[in-house]
Amino acid sequence: MNKSVLRVLVLTKRNLKELIRDPLSLVFMILLPLTMEILFYYLFHNATSQFEMKYLAPGIVVFSQSFSTLFTGLLIALDRSTAFLTRLYVTKTKSFEFIFGYLFSILPTAILQAILFYIVGGVIDPSLFGVGMLLAIVFSVITGFFFIGFGIFLGSVCNEKSIGGISSIVIAGQSVLSGMWFPTEGLPDGFIVFMKCLPFKNATDLISISTSGISGNEQSFLVSLAIVCAYAVAVILLGIIFFKRQMTSK
Amino acid sequence: MQAIKTINLSKRYKDVLAVDDLNLEVENGELFALLGVNGAGKTTTIKMLSTLTAPTSGDALIGGKSVLTESDSVKEIIDISMQETAIARKLTVEENIEFYANLNGRTPSEIVRIKERIYDTFGLKPYANKRANKLSGGWQRKLSIALALTSEPKVLFLDEPTLGLDVIARRELWNTIRALKESTTIILTTHYMEEAEYLADRIGVMKEGRLLFVGTKEELFALTGTSSVEEAFIDLVTTGENRK
Repeated sequence: MNKSVLRVLVLTKRNLKELIRDPLSLVFMILLPLTMEILFYYLFHNATSQFEMKYLAPGIVVFSQSFSTLFTGLLIALDRSTAFLTRLYVTKTKSFEFIFGYLFSILPTAILQAILFYIVGGVIDPSLFGVGMLLAIVFSVITGFFFIGFGIFLGSVCNEKSIGGISSIVIAGQSVLSGMWFPTEGLPDGFIVFMKCLPFKNATDLISISTSGISGNEQSFLVSLAIVCAYAVAVILLGIIFFKRQMTSK
Repeated sequence: MQAIKTINLSKRYKDVLAVDDLNLEVENGELFALLGVNGAGKTTTIKMLSTLTAPTSGDALIGGKSVLTESDSVKEIIDISMQETAIARKLTVEENIEFYANLNGRTPSEIVRIKERIYDTFGLKPYANKRANKLSGGWQRKLSIALALTSEPKVLFLDEPTLGLDVIARRELWNTIRALKESTTIILTTHYMEEAEYLADRIGVMKEGRLLFVGTKEELFALTGTSSVEEAFIDLVTTGENRK
């Protein structure tokens, strides 16, 4: 096997173990969104269509993935704050191998979140099962890349004390600026344009349209897909650049 | 061929000249102790020799390979144990060893041999399945140093290896380091003079980035008219420049 691929696999395995052995990561990435999905459906789905499962499940999937930013950033910042990473810089591991090691270790969790919350949603409302669900799970890989990439970027520039606060802005951004908890109709035009320029609403729309059906919504789907992809590539590239910079500054 | 040879090695951080024109040779199989007060340039020297920091000028050859132009080749023969403990917190002792050995490209059969060697040398076998963050500070430190051996380096840098350890743990670690010396060239920095006296074949004393003295402890005693490394060190760093 190629040595570079082997090093990425070794790093991925270690990072995944660090993540799943942190009980808080399981609470925030799995238990909290799962509770919200069940609770909000039964409390509000009769009151507003916003909480019907075909809208709620996509929102919950993307919301749960936003916690990847926190836990990816925290893992990197903690590795940087100790001598752990510095020692690894003495090996032949390259900066992009470190980044891919973090990326691929947390991505399975993001996919698992999508599968779990869609299955639970489908059990509650069987109309959710279908091709749309499968498409949504596939495209959740892209939204997962974005949130994990954001975490890699933050972990490369922030310390472990500030990462919690800054990541919570991303999580709050996903809650408030995605339109997942309230309808965007009636909001000022300028605010809607602002929301559409950011990745949060586009990430939710991407998964939501995949679930409901792309046919008839091709333009919205492609715009959201392009914006989320652009943000994902940008944050991952920034992550590599800043990670490499702090690596060489050692 | 020397294990290490530095050629006018210097490092400047903005207005501070951390290492100034360092010329040093360390022989294969030698345990060389680098002494100095805080800010003397010991850690910066170690960082340059281990490819973590690029020199501002000059070069260093590790096993004949330049840290400037052949850093990947240098990385194949060195390893480092930092001042701070460097372990994967939530992995077990065994997983930590396997992780570092795998990252260094060791084969499964080599990893089995390396694990047994580390367990024997450091007494880590009883803790093999314990998570690193559940170990005491002393055992974490031992594990951190042990991990530097997973690459089976020809040259090992130990930056203040016994910092923060109690006297018993320190003495145990000294014996471990002595055992390593048979197969590895070791460069050790320390603030503990008795550590250098007990372990080192030769001693280098740095002050303000410059090397004031290189030689055996007997040569150090003769130069300063003292009978312990601590007395000799104090004499040298407080009056050395005038005498030089």
